[in-house]
Amino acid sequence: MSTELRIVLIVVSILVLIYVLRKIRQSKLNIIDSIFWIVVAVILILLSVFPQIAFFLSAVLGIQTPLNFIFLLIIAILILKVFLMTIKISQLQEKTKVLAQKIAYDEFEKKIEDTKEEDQ
Amino acid sequence: MKLLVFIPAYNEEKSIKKVVDNLVLKCPQYDYVIINDGSTDRTEQICEENGFACISLPINLGLDGVFQTGNKYAYLHGYDLAIPFDGDGQHNAEYIPLLVDKMNEGYDIVVGSRFLNEKKPNNLRMMGSRIISFFFKLTTGVKFTDPTAGMRLVNRKIMRQIAQNQNCGAEPDTWAYFVKNGARLAEVQVKMNERAAGTSYFTLGRSFFFMLRMCISIVFIQFFRKGGK
Repeated sequence: MSTELRIVLIVVSILVLIYVLRKIRQSKLNIIDSIFWIVVAVILILLSVFPQIAFFLSAVLGIQTPLNFIFLLIIAILILKVFLMTIKISQLQEKTKVLAQKIAYDEFEKKIEDTKEEDQ
Repeated sequence: MKLLVFIPAYNEEKSIKKVVDNLVLKCPQYDYVIINDGSTDRTEQICEENGFACISLPINLGLDGVFQTGNKYAYLHGYDLAIPFDGDGQHNAEYIPLLVDKMNEGYDIVVGSRFLNEKKPNNLRMMGSRIISFFFKLTTGVKFTDPTAGMRLVNRKIMRQIAQNQNCGAEPDTWAYFVKNGARLAEVQVKMNERAAGTSYFTLGRSFFFMLRMCISIVFIQFFRKGGK
């Protein structure tokens, strides 16, 4: 791992942290959803500050260079995140559907009641 | 003083009638409303059959969403105080007046604590509670013996913030946020029952992530949050 890469990783991670915290301040992000990004940023900072961790883990996993280990880690984290987001989107879709049905149903009931009242 | 007791209920068909009857018997002076969090069992029908006041959410919002619904309802209908009361029979209604008395001493939030005068048991679950208590004290300077307790009485000022702000869920980091912004928090010793029916939301895995989230939120994120008005 070159010093340049380590510096870039640290800077990018800190920028991510600042960005996430600003979004929380602006009430555009739920704390529960921000935890993932904070944890990822902290992991990247740790790996850049202590490259020994990457050296050790790449040796354990039989990966040639620590840099490859970092790439693998980031790809794995992103795939996991995409999967979790797919689940979340499915749930949201389901909930919007139920909400739309509920509103339509309530309006329909109201209309029937209104016409009944007019008839009387 | 107008007080609203709101009862979050998610699939509580076995216990909801007992809980409401008991609440009405012991605290007839307070208004109550059940907040049915999109239950898939007979909770809603039971409320209707018995003529209970019940707000039924069409979808499941989870603990935070229900907590906000209750506080929002209380705020919009001009209540001075609001308190959640478990739909599964864990809370005892006779403690509500004690919490109100404490509130009148000039607090904004009064929490029914299981461990104010009694010792916290030494098990895995309580270890989490200890860690949160520790960070709470560290960041706010206020002692909070039971940060995950469910009975939290709030006044109109806090109610409004919960009703209108994002990120004011029913969790310890919300109380840390309020206390850091000048709210006065007190605790009253209460006794809680074992749950009568249903299962706990907290499995081991969920507890772990809950703890992690709370620690990051209380220790780190709260420093950067904007103060409430």
